[in-house]
Amino acid sequence: MTSYLDATLPSRSEHLWRYTPWSRVHPGSVDTIPTVDSAVAKSEELEIVNQPFQPLPETDIARIFLNEVLTETILVECDGKEGSIHIHAGGHAVATHLHISCKTTSNLVIHIHGEAEWFGLALTGHAQPNASLSVGIINELSTDSVMVRVDDWYVQRDGRLELATLSMGGHRNKSDIRSTLQGTNSSLKQFIGVHGHGTRHDDHHVEIQHQQPHTDSHLLLNAACDDRSHSIGTGALTIDDVAQHTDASQVFRNLLLSPSSRAEAIPELEVLANEVAAAHGAASAPINKEQLHYLMSRGLSNEEATSMIVEGFLVDSFTGLSSDYVRDAIQTRLTVHLECKLIE
Amino acid sequence: MTEVLLRVENLHVSVGDTPIIQGISLEIKRGEIHAVMGRNGAGKSTLANVIMGHPAYEITSGAVHYKGENIAEMEVFERARAGMFLSFQYPAAIPGVQVGTFLRKSVASVRGEAPSPREFRKELNEAMKQLDMDKSFLSRYVNDGFSGGEKKRLEILQMLLLQPDLALLDETDSGLDIDALRIVAEGINAVAENTGCLIITHYQRLLDLVKPNVVHVLIDGKIVQSGGPELAMKLEKEGYDWVDALV
Repeated sequence: MTSYLDATLPSRSEHLWRYTPWSRVHPGSVDTIPTVDSAVAKSEELEIVNQPFQPLPETDIARIFLNEVLTETILVECDGKEGSIHIHAGGHAVATHLHISCKTTSNLVIHIHGEAEWFGLALTGHAQPNASLSVGIINELSTDSVMVRVDDWYVQRDGRLELATLSMGGHRNKSDIRSTLQGTNSSLKQFIGVHGHGTRHDDHHVEIQHQQPHTDSHLLLNAACDDRSHSIGTGALTIDDVAQHTDASQVFRNLLLSPSSRAEAIPELEVLANEVAAAHGAASAPINKEQLHYLMSRGLSNEEATSMIVEGFLVDSFTGLSSDYVRDAIQTRLTVHLECKLIE
Repeated sequence: MTEVLLRVENLHVSVGDTPIIQGISLEIKRGEIHAVMGRNGAGKSTLANVIMGHPAYEITSGAVHYKGENIAEMEVFERARAGMFLSFQYPAAIPGVQVGTFLRKSVASVRGEAPSPREFRKELNEAMKQLDMDKSFLSRYVNDGFSGGEKKRLEILQMLLLQPDLALLDETDSGLDIDALRIVAEGINAVAENTGCLIITHYQRLLDLVKPNVVHVLIDGKIVQSGGPELAMKLEKEGYDWVDALV
């Protein structure tokens, strides 16, 4: 296993670290390995088993770092079940690794909360042949927290994976979400909703690799940025030369709610097969004044109308989710979050 | 004495440097229905929008009084809470916001308190039944992917629930088939008795079902003639050419 202290720190010219350098999300000085405790994970509906740590692929500095500090892997037994896992991230620096393997059909929600100064989350999983796995990740960390998230997902023949992320918490977040469509006729749908507020900095890097023919992947990232927040969405879609008849799309949409908010959306495609449909799009716009006027003409104040438009915009990120369980959980937390923001 | 709900006094309105409304005066009392007719671009929708307080329009002179008060400084939502309602010609779509949620929040805002869930459900069911609307409407996103007729029905559903004192209906009859027009007209008639209504329309067919007290003809931002329902019939038969002579 590569030692973190021997590893080369990434330069900002790298696509992955261009907008959020590793030094800004490392828990301390980059040439140190601070003490990192295990975060507490609980579930009432699902069986979770603590196992010796299964190392992450050494593809980048964040994974190499997490390999140094993680001590266990939490195996989630979710076949044929639906349920939530609550991760409480408290203390100075905490981390956890969840591994999810699904052979049948599962719907699960991972709810992250707590006041940790730094939280490292590694998610790995397999949607095995013919499996259908829906996973929702809800980030409601405290406004002072820094989070580093790395995902490695594999979808096998005729497998279906839905990954939905609602990101509302933390001060600075870097998520590197990678999925590989390993089997013929496998499918990935990825939905990300970001609410930027205060000085939140939220960076989602999404890599999707199509390795087999007749695979499809669709990514939608909606970011609503208020105050002085900054959202970044970078995509890296690779369609291998054998992955003919692939259907892939990546769409990034940003709603800018204040003149000081910022959003970057950079989809990148590398298509090596010739019989594919691959589309990408990115758009940033301020709030639609006609929508605002319409809602205000129905008695909602400017703030209430804006909140409703933001909620709608973010809910719309998850409309394509087939799992009612995951969608309802996400929508409930989003509504609570926005109502709290309205009162603040 | 019947309450005067809306008094528009020598109103002049511009968008940027372009004058749109050039001296309109009218008065609507509770229980009255006024129809405004005119060619495309005459300023009809501008009149409705400026009364409702659309920020894109600037009142350059004159005034709009609602229930005796000059409302120039009132925000749009304050006008709504005071009992004004605009049925939009082109209602905005709000993706991600379910109709049921939107209606509940809107009713709570306008009434100043949220109705009990049971009471609201009862009201909603009755109003939807009256408009022959399916309950599946409630889980759809506001105006998102709606047909023209569905949008207009949703506008009237809102009017029934909000029970405004003053209703401004901007081409509510456009995009409706004959059956839908009849249903929507019944909805308008259901609130008209206790409401002042300003109906903007191009067609006599709505006014066959919703009887106006006064019909105004708007040409180039001015009311050039006002009269009874016979004026609408004359326009239907003869068009607007004869009105040009009055300008």
